[in-house]
Amino acid sequence: MLALILVALLHHSFGAEYDVNSPITLTGTLTAIEWTNPHTHFYLDVKDASGKVVNWKFEGYNPSVLIRTGWKRNVTMKVGDTITVFGWRARDGGNWAHSREITLPDGKKMFFGPPAGTGDGGAQPAVEVK
Amino acid sequence: MRFAAALLFCATTASAQVPRMGTHPDLTGVWQGGSTTPGPWEEANGGSGVGGTGRNPNAPAVLSSNDRPAGREGAPYQDWAAKKVLESFNKRGIDDPTAQCLPGGIPRSVTLGLFPQQFVQTPTQVVMLYEYMNVFRVIPFASKHPDDILPSYMGNAIGRWDGDTLVVDSIGFNDKTWLAGTGTFHSEDLHIVERFTRVSKDRINYEVTMEDPKVLTKPWKLTSSLMLREGTHLDEYICAENNLDPGRYEQLLKAGVKITR
Repeated sequence: MLALILVALLHHSFGAEYDVNSPITLTGTLTAIEWTNPHTHFYLDVKDASGKVVNWKFEGYNPSVLIRTGWKRNVTMKVGDTITVFGWRARDGGNWAHSREITLPDGKKMFFGPPAGTGDGGAQPAVEVK
Repeated sequence: MRFAAALLFCATTASAQVPRMGTHPDLTGVWQGGSTTPGPWEEANGGSGVGGTGRNPNAPAVLSSNDRPAGREGAPYQDWAAKKVLESFNKRGIDDPTAQCLPGGIPRSVTLGLFPQQFVQTPTQVVMLYEYMNVFRVIPFASKHPDDILPSYMGNAIGRWDGDTLVVDSIGFNDKTWLAGTGTFHSEDLHIVERFTRVSKDRINYEVTMEDPKVLTKPWKLTSSLMLREGTHLDEYICAENNLDPGRYEQLLKAGVKITR
């Protein structure tokens, strides 16, 4: 009956919007960062296979979580920087993804978003399935 | 014998470090729910789970508050209500009230670990401030709830001391929050009793009992802990600023994307 609750919290469901089976790693030039709640977003110009530049949108943690985990607004990464992002694509296949790890211009890696699968109910429901 | 004496010494030393206000413990401070790791925020959150920096791969992973931790028994919902909980789980929680920027409610706001909470204790009341959704509880030391309670997200809370434990009794909830996990809804008859015991300078043990005869078969009891985060301050969290998720859910559903399990 008693159980330790080990919980964080996310504002929304990862699994509804993003596909854990579509991981993606992209390198490009940062064109904008939105430091907003409940989520930050940043935009990356990425060259596709034909050399055409495509602008991708990435979602991340909210600003206060980033600050508490060591990010500095518009210092740690800035518009114009070349960065590499690992994350998972949106389910609709658009140029939109959930960001997880960012490799900064100096090679340092930092998390910008949570792991896959958070906020969508986890491995088992809160009730027993009969 | 020597071991027992050492244990007693440790326990006595820990409780001796608990700050006091008059004859009772003082819970004032900034706390992180759902953690057992002492230390400043960045150092204590070195794992690879939600909100962790990943710099310490051995640190325990933190789950989302929507997830049921391994080993926890199923919540005691009545059969019809359990089906409703399962429906939310199967649609991956897109009906989560917090996705609409609504308050997390109780106990969710207390047990979540991604955002800090601050307790301010005075001789007559305890004020609990939550960064997540910028909500608060003003908890007077009182023996009786007021008669004219309007149902609310955070409920009407009164506090009392049971020895060194702060007991918070809450009623007057609306039915628009989740308790502890995806879909864990409740009715306006929800009654919650929380017990906060500061067992050391760094740690509060938290025990919560939820009663709701309309949806549960028996009281639902959970335990967790809160860790002191010296040097951390609460920030603004204005969720309505740029909340894209409800619109995204709608777009995906319209586009025929399958989001169910």
